[in-house]
Amino acid sequence: MLNNVFLKTMRDQRRSLIFWGIGLVALALYIALFFPTVSNMPELNKLLENVPKGLAALFGGQIPDYTSPVGYLNMELFSMMLPILLLVFTVGFGSGAIAGEEEKSTLDFLLANPIPRRRIVAEKFGAMVASLLLLAVVFYVGLVIGVVSVGMEVNYGRIAEATFSTLLLGLVFGSLALFLGCLRGNRGLSIGVTGALAVITYLLNSLGGMVEALKPYRILSPFYHHIDPNILANGLSPVHAGVLLGLIVIFFVLSLVVFERRDVAV
Amino acid sequence: MMSNGDIIIHTSGLTKFYGKLRGIEDVNLDVKRGEVFGYLGPNGAGKTTTIRTLLDFIRPTHGSATIFGLDIKRNSVEAHRHIGYLQGELELYGNLTGEDLLKYLGNLRGGVDWGYVKGLASRFDCELSRRIKILSHGNKQKIGLVQAFMHKPDLLILDEPTQGLDPLMQQEFYRLIADAKNEGRTVFLSSHILPEVEKVCDRVCIIRQGWLVAVETIETLKAHALYQLEIHFARAVPRDRFDSIPGVRDVVVENGILRCNVVGSLDALVKVAAQFEVVNVVSHEPSLEEIFLTYYNEDKNNVK
Repeated sequence: MLNNVFLKTMRDQRRSLIFWGIGLVALALYIALFFPTVSNMPELNKLLENVPKGLAALFGGQIPDYTSPVGYLNMELFSMMLPILLLVFTVGFGSGAIAGEEEKSTLDFLLANPIPRRRIVAEKFGAMVASLLLLAVVFYVGLVIGVVSVGMEVNYGRIAEATFSTLLLGLVFGSLALFLGCLRGNRGLSIGVTGALAVITYLLNSLGGMVEALKPYRILSPFYHHIDPNILANGLSPVHAGVLLGLIVIFFVLSLVVFERRDVAV
Repeated sequence: MMSNGDIIIHTSGLTKFYGKLRGIEDVNLDVKRGEVFGYLGPNGAGKTTTIRTLLDFIRPTHGSATIFGLDIKRNSVEAHRHIGYLQGELELYGNLTGEDLLKYLGNLRGGVDWGYVKGLASRFDCELSRRIKILSHGNKQKIGLVQAFMHKPDLLILDEPTQGLDPLMQQEFYRLIADAKNEGRTVFLSSHILPEVEKVCDRVCIIRQGWLVAVETIETLKAHALYQLEIHFARAVPRDRFDSIPGVRDVVVENGILRCNVVGSLDALVKVAAQFEVVNVVSHEPSLEEIFLTYYNEDKNNVK
């Protein structure tokens, strides 16, 4: 596990990954196992229809069909909970990848080796993608087990697609955090700015669902491209997924460029 | 190995400003193959800035430098292959053991002779099986030294290498430097301790507030060296006998105690003193700052 920067980074994350994996499986099972209770309460939907619009905005802007499997999973997992959790993981990972080592002064060790800077960034990025992929797979397996055991009628392929879209969303902010860490070498700054942008773009999407003036700007929010296509019902949209993928690539390339040029750990 | 074969490090007009703050300015250096080159200066003089610029961690504001004839900016990856580096104020991966760290860094260099690494580690009596974060500063420094030497680099760049080492390990370090020199390798080490530099270096460069003050051989440096000497005699001695000795300055005689400053050799003074009954001799090594002042005062008119 100490053969290169990629494996060393994975090794450093091993405990964290185990706990995150356990947590995500527990969450998936917990949510799935509660579905029978919820689906037996049709009056919940009536209640939700009366929710003030402002509050509804926080759940993605539209009143969901809470008692159907798709509506339930969207509301409980894919619209907010899972994105937030994966974002916490990727933003922590991305901001620490370069800036963390820089703040601990261990970056000198990496740079003193006959390795180009861009390769160090690329291997760290690769470790972030691999870690998140691992968590997404574990979460997916947990959720499918839960869904099967309570007999929810929902397409497993669509669940995989929705999970994949959440993974892309997480990587958008993770690679943004990596980019900011590469740019300034300050982990706290990277977390703060990325976190603020996540909140702003989340609200932009959800409020944009109701406020006419904001509507045209929703496409600027990564959350829009994850939530709006309603993947559980309609499947992954290549255009929206492509936008998320494009953002990841842009932030990754920017990371390579800015880190190559910068004075390190002054 | 490469073009202009015998100059290992060459800098020309190397300058680094951090915003308006001067790191180093107009540093011109040539380090020759096989020499041990000391980079001497007080804290904050620009030693680390020079080293980090040479390693391409930070980019010069003006000027350029080559290592093995390779441009430090364009060919840093190739240059790093032949450099062993020890950073000042060393920080290691605390959650790894010493052995894991050395394996990791060895792998990043495409593999090293592990038998040789083990030999180095036992030479410094390194604690390799424990997590680095529980090691003392000196024990971390020893691991830092091992990783700098472990791939048998042609050039060693060591930033304050003896920081935190106990005297026994310092001696071992000096032997390691001597071995490297005998094998034809080149050493560039920074220090703020004059006796250390005197002990191991062939040539010394003195840097002060970002400027090179002087590049000298150790012999020349010693010839300039200023000693504060105090000689206690059994009886009062005539001051004029000492006043006239070349190189002896600021003579004060009080109750049979002679105080003076001596530049360069002590020989003449000792021979005069020996004509009287000497009770005690107290000598103070010149401090770095005093040497700087000597140079600084001499060079003030030449530099800028």
